[in-house]
Amino acid sequence: MTSASDPTTPLTPAEKALVEKINATMTREEVLDALKTHLQTAAEIELATIPIYLYTYYSVNRGSSTGNTLTRADLFGNRAGSIIMSVAVEEMLHMTLVSNVIFALTGAPAQLYGKAPGVYPTGLPNHNPKGPVGPHGGTEVKIPLDKFCFDQLWHFLQIEYPEAADAPPEGDDWDTIGQFYSYIRCLISSDHVLDSDFRTGPAEHQIQPYNYSPNSIDTAYPTGQFDPWKLPPRQDGGPVMDYGAPPSAAEVAEYANAGDSHAGPEELIAVTCKLDALNALDTICDQGEGSATPSGSAPTDDPSKTEESHYYKFLTLQSQLEPYATTTEQLPQVPAPPAPVDPGWTQEMLESENIVFNLPPNPVTRATGAGPDRFVYPEDTAPISDFLNGLFQYQLLCIETTYRVPPDQQKRFFNESMHQSMIWVMDGYCMMMRGIDVGDGYVMGPTFENIDLGAPQDAFAALDALGKKAIQASALIPAASGVPKSVAGTTGYNADNLGVAKSMPDISQYWR
Amino acid sequence: MRSKKLEHVPTRGEDTSELPQPYPYAGVPVWPVQTGTQPEGMPLHACMGLNACRGADRFGLEGHTDPTTGETMVNDCAGQGYCSTTADHHCHVQNGCRDQGGCGLYGTAEDQDNPGHNDCSSLGSCATPINAERFSSGGPNQGKSVWARARKVFEEKVWPELREELLARQASGEIPADCPIPEQPGPVPEPFANSGPAYLWITNNYTNPGAMFACGTSGLSGTDG
Repeated sequence: MTSASDPTTPLTPAEKALVEKINATMTREEVLDALKTHLQTAAEIELATIPIYLYTYYSVNRGSSTGNTLTRADLFGNRAGSIIMSVAVEEMLHMTLVSNVIFALTGAPAQLYGKAPGVYPTGLPNHNPKGPVGPHGGTEVKIPLDKFCFDQLWHFLQIEYPEAADAPPEGDDWDTIGQFYSYIRCLISSDHVLDSDFRTGPAEHQIQPYNYSPNSIDTAYPTGQFDPWKLPPRQDGGPVMDYGAPPSAAEVAEYANAGDSHAGPEELIAVTCKLDALNALDTICDQGEGSATPSGSAPTDDPSKTEESHYYKFLTLQSQLEPYATTTEQLPQVPAPPAPVDPGWTQEMLESENIVFNLPPNPVTRATGAGPDRFVYPEDTAPISDFLNGLFQYQLLCIETTYRVPPDQQKRFFNESMHQSMIWVMDGYCMMMRGIDVGDGYVMGPTFENIDLGAPQDAFAALDALGKKAIQASALIPAASGVPKSVAGTTGYNADNLGVAKSMPDISQYWR
Repeated sequence: MRSKKLEHVPTRGEDTSELPQPYPYAGVPVWPVQTGTQPEGMPLHACMGLNACRGADRFGLEGHTDPTTGETMVNDCAGQGYCSTTADHHCHVQNGCRDQGGCGLYGTAEDQDNPGHNDCSSLGSCATPINAERFSSGGPNQGKSVWARARKVFEEKVWPELREELLARQASGEIPADCPIPEQPGPVPEPFANSGPAYLWITNNYTNPGAMFACGTSGLSGTDG
């Protein structure tokens, strides 16, 4: 537990007015129905952001150099990767928070399996398809899967765009995510909703705080060159063997997230009352858009003011790219946009310095249903892509399954399903994919399509079948030689005795 | 700062003149890639100085040759063994058993405050052995040595509990009566006493960079993995 937190944001005048209207014009049943519907939409909004951010994350090369060999380009790429990952981690937190609220209210978690966008570019659920003017003069809000570039960062800003002070709550056709959550806050704050409504699903079955960490070695980045042999300091200040030249890796490490960026007692909370639900939504809004102030959103989201909001993180990254100095994209006055960094990075520089992998825009595994904006992968790579998509869907099922696991087994289940698969399997698999040439100068990335694994009780077997097909396909693609190890770490299929000790759990026992 | 190291940009290891000179561990036995035979029935452990008894270290009951005297030496006591005996693993959740996780790269604040101290398989954080360069990415120990924290946790939490178990097993005859089970764990081998096993030593002066891996993409884990 962290020692400090944001206070729960009070209702704005516009929100108070809507609460009064809800009290006067809606029945309790109507309010509860609307609340459940909008919370499921919220879960799908949060879910939609995750493939979008991860795809761009996997286009960034953080591993070209380290230590005393880091170049300016390496440092920028590493920081960009860290920041995108730090946001993706918080989006996973947001999806979980919403799911906990839904579980508290209904006794069932958010539906996630099969609910990601699946096809890109995509609008976000219930989002106004027209938004602020972008860098090319358009106002369309359709978010692609794309590599790290100026335009993709604009799309990130479209997702995280801050609301104006006292902006009206919007339940449908929302302009900003903050306004959408504002509408939900009003429903919860109405007299029709009771504290006891959030005790339908027991707190101990919700995803617990001990499963979340704001930082990892992947949300850290070096701020400069360091001596890779120099040892870190001890917590007790005691001496360490000193044969490296300062600074050490520990001394140049910066962490993109902070432990106090939350309302309520912790980042991830189990929900048992209206205040818990409001705090969960407050954390989501503040982390995305920044803490609310009388004049608009702050650039940070935490009392220590050490963690920037998602919006400001992305805008700060964009300000280091060359097009930012002359862009005509429409940004809010508050928070004030950062000054452009001179010289800014051009896309050509980032790609020639091997900071960005040339992942294609909006890839799809097969030509079936592919539109004009999509890149179709070669046929022989389809099983490689299918397995990643199966893994993604299985991860979503694992989140839903967590609510069915006996509470005393939750940490182990969550570790073996989500932590292992995100850190050990998906990360390595996507990095391996980047070595596969898919034509037109592009390399392979995850398509994040909604592949069907069947009913939850059959999903592990379906994933196992996809893994075996991926292994067969990889035998003909030298750059895919890492597939068997990833499959072993996922389903335990370990045909070549690869020495992989652990796999993801079979969830079927929890769904029979 | 050694300006020489910052003027050109080979990847680590391409230019061995970049390595610390002279090699600081010339007087230390070479890190064994294969773990030696372990005393039967004794717990495995995550890193140097976290062992439970005589002969329980990376060199095992076979011991190591002292580079100075040429004698065969076997670690004599709890807390003074060379390096890990648990199955080497690279990442979070990969640990096989109680107290066998490394830490520092992933995991919650609670996990990261208790390296080498976890309840069960899959509840540990990160790669073993715990290379001396590794620092915690979160929790109260953020930015500080993971190994030093692990040794402190061993002294304050793990060993007192483990010692009681071992004494009980010794009383029942399960453990030989002459196996020392001291109140305090023995000293960590020099020159690692304050820092733990350096990647430079584990990789034998960087001649075997694949000797261990630790996951993560930021290049800050202290290993090449």
